Amino acid sequence: MIIKQLIEQIEGEAFVSFDMKDDRVEFSTISFAHFRGMEMMLEGKNVLDALVITPRVCGICGHAHLMATVRAIEDAYKNAGFKINLTDKIQKIRELTLIMEMIQNHFKWLYMVIIPELSKIVDLSLVKEPLKGAFSASIASKIIAIFGGQWPHSSYMVPAGITCDPTDIDIVQAQNYLDELISFFEKESLGVSLEKFLSFKSCKDFNDISSDISNLEKALISIDMHHKGFSHDRFLIMGEHSFTNVSKLKHTRTFKVNSKYIKTEEAYSPNEKTYALNALYNDEYYETGSLARMMSNSIPIIKNMHRRYKDSAYSRVMARIFELGYMLNHAKKLINGIDIYEKSITKVENIEKVSAKGIGIVEAPRGPLIHKIELEMGIIKSYKIITPTQFNIGSSTPDKPTPVQLAMKGLTKEEALFVFRTFDVCSVCTTH
Amino acid sequence: MLLSQDKKPTLIWLQGVTCNGNTHSFLNLSYLELLLSKFELIYLPFMEVKYSFFDISKCSLSCDVLIFEGTFDPLMQRNGVLLKDILIHYANDAKHIIAVGSCASFGGMFKASAPDRNSGLLYDGDDFIGVLTKLYKKVINLSGCPIHPEWLGYTLSMIANNKNIKLDDLYRPVELYSNLSHHGCTRNEYFEWKVDAKNFGEKEGCLFYEQGCRAPMTHASCNKILWNEVSSKTRIGTPCFGCTEPDFPRENFFKTKTNMSIPQDIPLGVPKRSYLTMAGIAKTFHIKRLEGKLIDYKTTD
Repeated sequence: MIIKQLIEQIEGEAFVSFDMKDDRVEFSTISFAHFRGMEMMLEGKNVLDALVITPRVCGICGHAHLMATVRAIEDAYKNAGFKINLTDKIQKIRELTLIMEMIQNHFKWLYMVIIPELSKIVDLSLVKEPLKGAFSASIASKIIAIFGGQWPHSSYMVPAGITCDPTDIDIVQAQNYLDELISFFEKESLGVSLEKFLSFKSCKDFNDISSDISNLEKALISIDMHHKGFSHDRFLIMGEHSFTNVSKLKHTRTFKVNSKYIKTEEAYSPNEKTYALNALYNDEYYETGSLARMMSNSIPIIKNMHRRYKDSAYSRVMARIFELGYMLNHAKKLINGIDIYEKSITKVENIEKVSAKGIGIVEAPRGPLIHKIELEMGIIKSYKIITPTQFNIGSSTPDKPTPVQLAMKGLTKEEALFVFRTFDVCSVCTTH
Repeated sequence: MLLSQDKKPTLIWLQGVTCNGNTHSFLNLSYLELLLSKFELIYLPFMEVKYSFFDISKCSLSCDVLIFEGTFDPLMQRNGVLLKDILIHYANDAKHIIAVGSCASFGGMFKASAPDRNSGLLYDGDDFIGVLTKLYKKVINLSGCPIHPEWLGYTLSMIANNKNIKLDDLYRPVELYSNLSHHGCTRNEYFEWKVDAKNFGEKEGCLFYEQGCRAPMTHASCNKILWNEVSSKTRIGTPCFGCTEPDFPRENFFKTKTNMSIPQDIPLGVPKRSYLTMAGIAKTFHIKRLEGKLIDYKTTD
């Protein structure tokens, strides 16, 4: 029996068609109905305009799109024979604002999506406070705005630099907001200090605390999510950053990667029209996002979690929460390392001299975000975008399921709907 | 139109072709919880409230305040129902309709998704030919890509407090769109003395002459009510892209179009001759302080 389900609050919406057998998901397909045509919109324009247009692909991760665009343009410069030198300051500030967008995303996902959705299927009473997610995210956004002028939809990264020229007081303000955010995370979410949380080695360490996070952890265990929602146990990390280890993992084994093996193909969605394409690496589906990044960084608690519970829904959720702490800690190091005396922009040739291809890859909150461009005298001949949700939430045939299709198989419809959201889905990015 | 005092106004937030940028901008509002407590929340796309979109798409409910985000596409379906039918059902009964963002106001960024048919609720660019023109008396446009959270905060607060909102010729609150984005920019002195920014990444210099800044021609209070309560585009050295105006998005955002080295578009309402005279005189002076660095870190070591 086919059951069609509208899914909301995933940065837009999607339909999942469940093929149910004995009240369990035998197979499912996913469709995204709303096409926006961003790639087509970009063709024929000066590529610098992409710095304004691509952040508008997505309200929640537009900053990652901005960085993917600027990296693609800089790559095109290099391929055209021009040098791009980025000072340490430029790189640190770009990384910092990218991380803060990831942090605001994770807080919203935690309080506005995962806790409310989990509370629908557990007997334990979970406190639903969605506006805690908005509040904490708004502090992270302030840090972006100090350097980027505003969030969402900043365009402060430009080829070979950033438009801002921060002073000591900007750095101090950013440090203070970050301290405020860490304090919120400790008091309102964790129930322990960030330092203690980051030293956790085992899931058992959650037993000693009472907080939003420990309640969430208990609730996941109570409905057996540590034994459900398994995917391929393959992970892909493509964005090169100070906080990533670019690689693919099959179980726990790490391999080198090359972006030339990424491709997209038509989605299989026989029941509904979809505008999404599936993304694959070397013709295989990989999970992307927090669990992938934390696995590749060999974080002790994540390795321990994976050893016991593999790539279950539990591991996926807890890895994302752990990443929140990891990124807050990393952001602190980045801010402290900014040397305001360095240049905010370095010398760069006029874009009209650039006729070349370029690729920009960043780790967005949900995984690798890829922008591929082809320029002719600075004008966009073609612009292709591949988003992380295309890796995680593809819709393929039963013989070759995507990460989400495999993770939902065998579950009840209610469990499957929860597992769907453990991937943190972005509908608007998918149908760019 | 005023609402009765005895019960909270009901609110629905609908979306057309959008990136959710207005939603996420609004979530930054510092008094979000307080503001939302003044309304009976029927449907929001960003958090679970009384009803789901499945319920909303049946068109059997109603609301006092209808917020619409995104470009209107007459062929768009949501949950298998034409968005047009959903929009018109709720718009007919609503006492106030708020178009949040430039997409909902004028067509904006996602007009280009289907240029022949997409538009804002009242306007297609600056043509008054949108889907809700018959209901224009109830519509408030909050243009911007995205809206500033305080702009929607102000509008909803005024409605909750039964206050009348005065609108400009494009149905935008005069309180929010009478200032130019230029007002309050920390680079104003460089504009006055015609000292241009030679490059990005510097605190000094005005971005109007070379870098494409639209702030002197753009109705917005971005430099009066700061973004995320801390800054603005122009303050950190990014040009204003004119995102609150009906012609957004324009092209060549980072370059000022000039004729014989004079900016093609000059500050709003200033006669060209007056501008040229003033600019010509200002350019003859060399103000040493404005040509140097704002903070000279070397001498303060």
